[in-house]
Amino acid sequence: MPGLNLAAAGLRLAFAGEGIIDLPELTLVPGTLTALTGPSGSGKSTLLYLLSGLLQPDAGSIAWAGQDLAGMRESQRDRWRRQHAGFIFQNFHLIEELSPLDNVLVPLWFDHFSAAAARPRAIALLDQLEVPRRRAHVSLLSRGEQQRVAIARALITDPAVIFADEPTASLDAASGQTVIAVLRDLALEQGRTVLVATHDAALRQQAGTTVQLDHGRTRQSEAAA
Amino acid sequence: MNPLPIAWASLRRNRFTAILFIAIVALTVALGIAISAQERALRIGSARAADKFDLIVAAPGSHNDVLFSTVYLDPSAVPLLDPAMTRLLLEDGQADFVAPIGFGDAIGDAPVVGTTAAFVEHLSGGLAEGRVFAALDEAVVGALSPHAIGDTLEVSHGHGGATGTDADAAADAIAAGTAVPGGDGDHPTITIAGRMQPTGTPWDRAIVVPIEYNWSAHGLGTGHLPGDSHIGPPFDPDSLPGLPAVVVKPVDVAAAYGLRGAYRTPQSTAFFPAEVLVELYSLLGDATAIMSALTLAAQALVVAAILAGIVAILDLQRQQFAVLRALGASRSFIFATVWVYVAALIVTGAIVGLLLGWGFAALVSEALAQQTGVAMRAEIGMSEFRLVGALVALGLVLASLPALLIYRRPVVEGLR
Repeated sequence: MPGLNLAAAGLRLAFAGEGIIDLPELTLVPGTLTALTGPSGSGKSTLLYLLSGLLQPDAGSIAWAGQDLAGMRESQRDRWRRQHAGFIFQNFHLIEELSPLDNVLVPLWFDHFSAAAARPRAIALLDQLEVPRRRAHVSLLSRGEQQRVAIARALITDPAVIFADEPTASLDAASGQTVIAVLRDLALEQGRTVLVATHDAALRQQAGTTVQLDHGRTRQSEAAA
Repeated sequence: MNPLPIAWASLRRNRFTAILFIAIVALTVALGIAISAQERALRIGSARAADKFDLIVAAPGSHNDVLFSTVYLDPSAVPLLDPAMTRLLLEDGQADFVAPIGFGDAIGDAPVVGTTAAFVEHLSGGLAEGRVFAALDEAVVGALSPHAIGDTLEVSHGHGGATGTDADAAADAIAAGTAVPGGDGDHPTITIAGRMQPTGTPWDRAIVVPIEYNWSAHGLGTGHLPGDSHIGPPFDPDSLPGLPAVVVKPVDVAAAYGLRGAYRTPQSTAFFPAEVLVELYSLLGDATAIMSALTLAAQALVVAAILAGIVAILDLQRQQFAVLRALGASRSFIFATVWVYVAALIVTGAIVGLLLGWGFAALVSEALAQQTGVAMRAEIGMSEFRLVGALVALGLVLASLPALLIYRRPVVEGLR
């Protein structure tokens, strides 16, 4: 699935006290791996939540291919995520009692009673990501394998946009490299829009675009070669 | 949507807590079910036991005492019916048969009851084996009696069972007029001639002898002219002793009410066992209603306490729910997941409790039947299903409280 364009403008979010986002402009293009960097507390995660519709900005627009998340109700934003977005977390957030396959199928149950139709795709994704499927519980997998299950879960609905929040931060270097390669492939080979909040230098090096945040403001936005 | 796999995963995550919650709900439900089912078993069992005792005529006094003595063979000191009244009854055309009942002896724990062959046939609906007694020293045993046909048994004075043959019981019997001072000692051995069908009454454990045996053993004559050795009616009107109770089978319904009215005199009382039982049941029913209300209140409290526990447990899982939201789950999906989780605990607990309560009531019924001889069977009926249904309905409604609490949590807070 080709990615979606993002055109965000005049984004502002104020918490009581800290964590203010003040972003005059941000554009993302499909086929690019964009790294969102900055020191802890710079608002990386908050921006990710804003752009994925989990948070509503106080002002501004977040237009994904013309659809402005800022103007949508919560249920519409839920549906947008369901249809267009995949999410990857630092700590995987898998359901430990479920098998790797069932974990990948979780997003299907939001809309369908039976996830059977998506099983072949889930199996293909797990095989592609080299995750052993024959485990009763996902907790029996290594951390690197668990993150790859989480990636398969993010991809099961074939979303145009992938959000990742520090996807390599709790992995060893080798597992991190695999995840970085997968994310790069999702953007460059498959043409999705991939936005990664990270402070991992290895991941930043592979990013096509880097957006540096400092106290919620863009310090620098650069396109790498 | 399908919240089941995720609700099931959540249940498995805290399986010991889940099992504990189910057990608590089950035990509370079982308590309510057992009380309700046991009360009905007691009512139905005791009413069935009294079925064959159409109309009881006795000396004026407590109907309860006469009923318990006659139907449930739980003897108490009752005044004796004036022989003049018995004489009138024996001549009354509205009576199909008139059966004198006499107590006061026992063989081991089993009471020895005196009556007529006609009443034995009526109560038992034809014998299971052997024949009904035809002589003074013959007897018929109840269906559950350990004695076999042909056995020869020593009869001792007293009421049997817990009262035994001690002096107290003898004094009671004398006071009740079923024995005369110094009249003890003429208890010939008896031979078992037949066995009754099961009647579901304490008579199933009794040894039934001709009423003449009962009278003569207590020095009251035989109810016949000297030298007349036949047993059963007709009795000699002038030789009849006083009786604790007489069971009358009226010829028809009109006769039943006619006799009941006619024998409510200063010298006698007449009543249908059912009317006494109805009064007892209304007392029992009041007690049951109070107990049921208390158990229902306890059940509601248990459900409330468990909901509080569930909220605490689900609070620990708030990150998972936030992640589901981030993955695109709607609020209604989160609501459904939590609701299914809570509902599963309550419904499972209620079903287990229903079975447990049934089993418990069955055990109590069995123990009571053993103890009293009144056949009782605990059954699960509409009222038990209603009780469980009410609790389940309450639980399902209350299940939406934790569901609403979890569903209202801001997503981003859970993700941090």
